[in-house]
Amino acid sequence: MAETIIELKRVTRSYRRGSETVSALQDFDLQVPVGAFRAIMGPSGSGKSTLLNLVGGLDRPDAGNVVVDGAELTGMSPAQLSRFRADRIGVIFQAFNLISVLTALQNVELPLLLHSLGRARRREQALRALKLVGMDDRIHHRPAQLSGGQEQRVAVARAFATDPKVILADEPTGELDRHAADSILDLLVLLNQEFGKTILMVTHDPRAAERAGAVIHLDKGQVDRIVPREPVSEQPAGR
Amino acid sequence: MPWHLIGQNLRAHKLRTLLTIGSLAVAVFLVCFLRTVVLGLEAGVVGSASNRLIVQSAVSLFVDLPLGYQSKIEGVPGVARVCKQQWFGGYFQDPSNFFAQFAVDGDRLLETFPEMQIVQGSEEAFRASPTQCLIGTGLAAKYGWKLGSRIPIIGTYFTRSDGKPWEFTVAALYESKSANVDNSTLWFHFKYLYESLVSKAAEGPLGVGVYVIRLAGGSDPVKVAGAVDALFDSGPLRVQTTSEAEFQRQFVTMMGSVQTFLGSIGGGVLFAIMLAVLNTMLLSFRQRFHEIGVLKALGFSDAVTFGMLLFESLGICACGGLLGVTASLASASYFARSMSTILPTFAITGATTAMGLGLAISIGVVAGLFPAWQAMRLECIDALRAEV
Repeated sequence: MAETIIELKRVTRSYRRGSETVSALQDFDLQVPVGAFRAIMGPSGSGKSTLLNLVGGLDRPDAGNVVVDGAELTGMSPAQLSRFRADRIGVIFQAFNLISVLTALQNVELPLLLHSLGRARRREQALRALKLVGMDDRIHHRPAQLSGGQEQRVAVARAFATDPKVILADEPTGELDRHAADSILDLLVLLNQEFGKTILMVTHDPRAAERAGAVIHLDKGQVDRIVPREPVSEQPAGR
Repeated sequence: MPWHLIGQNLRAHKLRTLLTIGSLAVAVFLVCFLRTVVLGLEAGVVGSASNRLIVQSAVSLFVDLPLGYQSKIEGVPGVARVCKQQWFGGYFQDPSNFFAQFAVDGDRLLETFPEMQIVQGSEEAFRASPTQCLIGTGLAAKYGWKLGSRIPIIGTYFTRSDGKPWEFTVAALYESKSANVDNSTLWFHFKYLYESLVSKAAEGPLGVGVYVIRLAGGSDPVKVAGAVDALFDSGPLRVQTTSEAEFQRQFVTMMGSVQTFLGSIGGGVLFAIMLAVLNTMLLSFRQRFHEIGVLKALGFSDAVTFGMLLFESLGICACGGLLGVTASLASASYFARSMSTILPTFAITGATTAMGLGLAISIGVVAGLFPAWQAMRLECIDALRAEV
């Protein structure tokens, strides 16, 4: 059985919306093995983004435990969570979220500033990541000078540049046409299969979900079902 | 710290950054200039000699003292020398060419004010004739006067009966080693003034503005001042004897609370600019709300986002401060020339430039702290949810 890299145990997270309390995740359990590529699907409000935020250390559970790569996130200070994200997590957003005043190269170099690397090494790693995503001929372009697909490629390079163990993608193809979306999904598969990255991808697109090893369907803050495309070892605990 | 991101953000809004830097530069320039003016006004007080006393009318500086007081004051124990000093109040050719002129005892002047050093000509030449005068090097440089130059001065307080200007011949040039005596004054013989008034060749009050006492070594200034005042307690005109520093202070005070006024202007300008920089930084924070969320998601800590906003503010203010200080230093010689007769000691000091830079950096810190604190407290998820 493959080693578990992401584990959520009896996690509850709710939010205040006006006078109402909305439960995003309720008594939620999940285990994801090292090197897995999982798509997360579900209707709006099912807890998909909350799940990604908790795994990325961007949010804290009201109850339960979140363990990623052996690190218990629940008790970490804000500074420790920042360090955790810098070291072990790569993030890809639906809206790309590149820094508009920086070039593609500078955007990819940005997370590398958080690592003890010399300028030359930083540049070398950033260029390698940009080459991997096929953007090495656009390194001095700013986001406004790139197409949506190209921007997302740069965002993938930024997520990969620090060599994180886990990559979290929040609807990475949501704003792309079919062709650009396919190329981004190809890259994610490449990162998963060639570089062994564990990937959690939230998506509404069934075609995108098909590229993952398994699809975790959420509903009302719980795992509804897990549909594997290949034999997978993880199951919602106690279900 | 992502320095290049700070730099890029400043460059991304060039006009806003340049305008903020420009407004700060103007404020720092103004503060340096105003402080220099205030220091110039106070220079006479700071540089005053402790071994000189000034005797003036107890009623007002504008009331002249009788000529006969000089010999009586000289008889007071502890007094080494007494020199008459009468404000002349004329101008050269045009009222805009105004500078100080004093009628003094020519044979006692340099003994009473040893900080005045003759650099061209001689004291003997000055004493040779009543119409000879002694001028400061600053005055000579401003009007191109040399030894032997004839200087026509149109009297306002003392006018010549024939309607012509007073004529003086430059006998010597002096340079002062102390700030209480400037290099932009013309000194001439009281005898010339006195004889002109007595012979009715000129019209004006026959008296002495102040007597300057040079104390004998080891004498107590307070006791001497008390003795001089007591001498004329019963009239005919009571006097007030003060230290030179106190006299200079009174003179400055006569111009009203100039220092307070100038200080208020400078303080007000700085406060207004601080609000402008704060506004710029708050705007910058709001525009980068989403970006700060992205940075935090990538792993940048709260401390780094705090530092980014703070250093951005500091960068703007340091640039403005440097520009303002540079402009004030570059224009110092121009102002020193154009204001030489009003403020002979106008010079921007190292302390003033340091203060200008210090104030600019302080504004940077104060204006940057609140947006930086907001950036630090910003929740990553809230920032990412915000509209780009």
